[in-house]
Amino acid sequence: MKNTIILISFLFSSFMSFAQQNEGIVYYTRTSRWTKMIETVDYMSKQEREKMAYMFGNKDDWKSYNILYFNEKEAKYVNSEQKSEESEGYSDRKSEYIIKRNFEKNSTTDIIEMLGRVYIVEDSLITPNWKILNDIKDVAGHICMKAMVEDTLKKQKIVAWFAQDIPVNAGPERLYGLPGLILELDINNGAVIIEATKIENKKLVQELELPKKMKGKKVNEAGYQDIIRKHMADMKKAEEYPFWGIRY
Amino acid sequence: MRKLSIVLFFMFICVTAFAQNPARVTIKGIIKDTSSNVMGGATVMLLTPKDSALVNFSRASDKGVFEFKNVKNSNYILKVSYVGYLPYQQVLSPSPTEVADLGNVGIKPISKELLEVVVKTARAPLTIKGDTIEYDARSFKVPQGSSVEDLLRRLPGMEVDAQGNIKAQGKDVKKVLVDGKTFFGDDPKAATKNLGAETISKVQVFNDKSEQAKLTGVDDGKKEKAINLELKEEYKKGAFGKITGAVGTDSRMAARGNYNRFNKTSQFSILGYGNNINETGVNWSDYGEFKGNNAFNQNDNGDFGFSSGNRWWSSNGDDITNNFDGRGFTNNGGAGVNYNFDNKKTKFNSSYFYNQTRLFLDQYQNQKTFLEKSAFLTTDTSSQNNFRGNHSIGTRFERMIDSSNTLIVKLNMRAGNRDDSNTMFQRNLTEEGALRNSSKIINNGDFTNFSLNTNAIFRHKFKKKGRNFALSLGYNITNSDGNENLNPTTRIIDAKTFEEQVRTSRQINDNENRQNLLKGSALFLEPLSKKFYWETFFNFSTDNRKVNRDALNGLAENKRIDSLSTYFENTVTYNRVGTSLRYSFSGINISLGGAALRYGLEGQQFTGKNGRTLSNVSKGYPEFIPYFDANFELKNNLYLNFSYSLEVTAPQITDLQPVINNNNPFFISTGNPDLSPEKSHGINFSMYKFDPSTFLNINLWGGYNYYLSQVVYNQIVNTETLKVNTRPENLSGGTSFSLGSYCGFPIVKTKLTVNMNPYIRIANNPTFINGVLNESNNQNYNLNFGLSFTPSDKLIVGMNTRFGINNIKYSLGAAQNQNIRNNSFDASIKWNFMKKTFLETNLDYTSFRNKSERFAFEQDIPIFNCSVRRLFMKENKVEVRLAAFDIFNKRQNIIQQAFQNTVTNQTALTLARYFMLSVTYNMKGHESKLKKNEGW
Repeated sequence: MKNTIILISFLFSSFMSFAQQNEGIVYYTRTSRWTKMIETVDYMSKQEREKMAYMFGNKDDWKSYNILYFNEKEAKYVNSEQKSEESEGYSDRKSEYIIKRNFEKNSTTDIIEMLGRVYIVEDSLITPNWKILNDIKDVAGHICMKAMVEDTLKKQKIVAWFAQDIPVNAGPERLYGLPGLILELDINNGAVIIEATKIENKKLVQELELPKKMKGKKVNEAGYQDIIRKHMADMKKAEEYPFWGIRY
Repeated sequence: MRKLSIVLFFMFICVTAFAQNPARVTIKGIIKDTSSNVMGGATVMLLTPKDSALVNFSRASDKGVFEFKNVKNSNYILKVSYVGYLPYQQVLSPSPTEVADLGNVGIKPISKELLEVVVKTARAPLTIKGDTIEYDARSFKVPQGSSVEDLLRRLPGMEVDAQGNIKAQGKDVKKVLVDGKTFFGDDPKAATKNLGAETISKVQVFNDKSEQAKLTGVDDGKKEKAINLELKEEYKKGAFGKITGAVGTDSRMAARGNYNRFNKTSQFSILGYGNNINETGVNWSDYGEFKGNNAFNQNDNGDFGFSSGNRWWSSNGDDITNNFDGRGFTNNGGAGVNYNFDNKKTKFNSSYFYNQTRLFLDQYQNQKTFLEKSAFLTTDTSSQNNFRGNHSIGTRFERMIDSSNTLIVKLNMRAGNRDDSNTMFQRNLTEEGALRNSSKIINNGDFTNFSLNTNAIFRHKFKKKGRNFALSLGYNITNSDGNENLNPTTRIIDAKTFEEQVRTSRQINDNENRQNLLKGSALFLEPLSKKFYWETFFNFSTDNRKVNRDALNGLAENKRIDSLSTYFENTVTYNRVGTSLRYSFSGINISLGGAALRYGLEGQQFTGKNGRTLSNVSKGYPEFIPYFDANFELKNNLYLNFSYSLEVTAPQITDLQPVINNNNPFFISTGNPDLSPEKSHGINFSMYKFDPSTFLNINLWGGYNYYLSQVVYNQIVNTETLKVNTRPENLSGGTSFSLGSYCGFPIVKTKLTVNMNPYIRIANNPTFINGVLNESNNQNYNLNFGLSFTPSDKLIVGMNTRFGINNIKYSLGAAQNQNIRNNSFDASIKWNFMKKTFLETNLDYTSFRNKSERFAFEQDIPIFNCSVRRLFMKENKVEVRLAAFDIFNKRQNIIQQAFQNTVTNQTALTLARYFMLSVTYNMKGHESKLKKNEGW
């Protein structure tokens, strides 16, 4: 019993120390798995998909990197220039992708390059309809709880793991609104996994600012969704990969 | 009746009284643990009971107090989470009062073992369902062949004694279920001792009511521990395959089949085919199924250095895929097996294949050769019967030794034989058509070949991120032995004496060729900063070849003909050391570098097999080569590339060997041991743009090459006998320029798409003809225009038009200029006109023209194919196809081409009209709809 109390008070104190600094940077690794990404498309028959998985073996994945700057009021999520180990130093261009959330002002500003142009999506916050599940696991040294949401636009099942001990509503990609910072996302059963590798607690200075000049077509959330919905319908008709040109 | 109404009335009042709950409510409470410590900072959530949707959340204060103010008064699940504690759940009903005070909410800690071992160390997710705690057994590693008992011993909170009795969290486990069901009676040990650990995906531990409680239905409070073992879903296991049999008119037939079995780590496949319809192998799709995850391999290129392409995928399908060139009739057969093993660390592939082809070829060729002041014509009628058979074994092994070291070892062995027989009747005529000489040549050859290629590539990643080292070594052997029988009979019309006029000879060549190639490469990559990389490489190779050829006179007791016998050994050594600096950031990759290289060419001629040295050549060619390459990946899917390089390549070894090839007595070629390497400046650019919103894509590319030194085949032609002697020599001044574009876009999105592909190539080739420099200027203009129309998912119409112009100018005489035109039109229809029934037809019309005087050529070839197929049986497993090929019976193969000082028309017979009925059984069923995009 004594041990338990010590353990609890230890955990408690460690929690308290985190709670004092709900501000910092999360580094995420985004792993995409091609044979899983095509599992949910309907332009290919099951047989074709199985054949592709058969020919790829275990080598159908690639990695990219993202950074999330957060505090209790704001969050900004961007693509990172980090190179993967397989790249041999060669660099790919990262498309423009800045996801800004202001929880205090209840507003979002997203700069998203897709379908050959840059869009600035501005709207008020609409919290995803999360479901909370009864699973816990460790991500980057934090014990996280499981939550789920369905993306009805892109038809994706998304599993999020949020930290019990970082009371920040932010998260990677366009997701947020859980009682703790989202440290892992699993889109469509492992097609894309975004996992935090490092969390740096530090005072942010300029990192949360949006670029001074923002060039792009302004749309609201409904407009943004319309563009994607229309493109995906076109691609479905053309029997091509629906996420060609947009982020999975 | 009346009483009943009163009762109902009362009930109604009661219900409405209950419904008078306040619309909004404040829910509050204090979070405490089992020892009554307040849990400040705990997360408290309100969920809907229906689907656990998150309605609201807050945090407990330092004193453990939480409060949801003014929330809708309805059913909720109150959920509390805290690090180190089990998630707590409580069902809330609508509150009758405005404040619902839940008082103390107690949460239980997770056992330290579960937290430390399962969650922190094994990093396995923990699922809590009421009092069931479940975790993923796959995170706990046990040796292969272990039983569930061994697995349980490793799990925290579990104890298994020597007799196999199990305790969970200190309590006896009375029951072990497998997938929720009892396994072989009630003995919990039956499952744990007999099941293999690798079959289990999840282990669940929960409290079960005692047998007594279950029997009586009265909960006696006694709980027993039970374990449920969830079995792994063997999702990546299966088999697929198909078999086709076909018969046709004119004894045409074909059969092919493949069968593949696979599970998560291994793939096994067999493939076989046989036919007389000119399919010398299988298509790429079947090749992919046969080779499985070994069809394409990454990082297999061991030749490091400038633009060596070691970032790309490579494949080797020449042996098994169809490579019929359109000429003649072939009988083909082949069969093989392939095995792949692939887990995360080791990839092993091995395959064996045998294939053979017999070719029957009858062709007619008409050639015009330009000389300084005149020209002459050559006509050939030839009939060939060639056989090729090959056994090949290939093995590839790739191992990730650890996170920083990778090794790839490849071994390919091939053994084969070939026999050729060629009967040719050749006539050489003056430009006016007067016959000058003729020859009848009967050549037979019989060869056996053996080759062995080995290659090993080792890659090391240093601790410093981005610093890489790679090393490769390869050793290849190629041996070929065989006999040739040359039997020419020549007639020279203007000869003075009869002996000169008709001459028959019989020559037997006994050939022995040996090649040994040793090569190696090393690469070191150093990141200087986030944006700059420094790359250094070294390559070497030594290519040694020996030729022993006894040329024997079959008409003089097989006496050796010294002038035609050759005993030669030469070695080409190559060393290159180079370095480059690369800027790589944000989609821009620019490399600038240089390399020093040296070719060493050595040749030795002997008097005979193992004889003394007759002559000796030894030369070295040192060279410095600059290199520049720039790649830009810009906004809006725009890609640009520019590159410059100085290419230096060693001459072909066969061109270096002073072997006289007299297989055709009127066209004799000799090697040249004095050749020096080819050297050329090359610049290239390309651009690619894709617009995903309009589906527009544009490709543009171009290149220019200037030869400082080029190997060309100079000719000495006897204007009387028209006998040609040719010899490779170095010459400067050759150029080539190309410019091309591809552009495709929809006119009506998803329905009507057009594409255009113009292409220009202009080349200047200098050659010496009888000591006079001839420059031939070859201009190629091509335009393809295509259209694809998909009015519905039942109909696909395609059309394609191609215009090709080839103008050739010869500096020897403007009168000889050639103008070749090849135009073609192709239309195809795929129509799913009835359920499970498809019509496929295409018409391909090609016209061949040469407008020049005295060498005019005109031929139109319309090819019309048509087939109907229908799918039968469950899952469309059977396909029956009736096909008609070349309904107009017009197919023949025509090649029009110009090279150096010649222009050629070649016509070969090949498989024309036939009808065929085929039946295919596919284990996985056939596609029952038309595909808009073929392939992937």
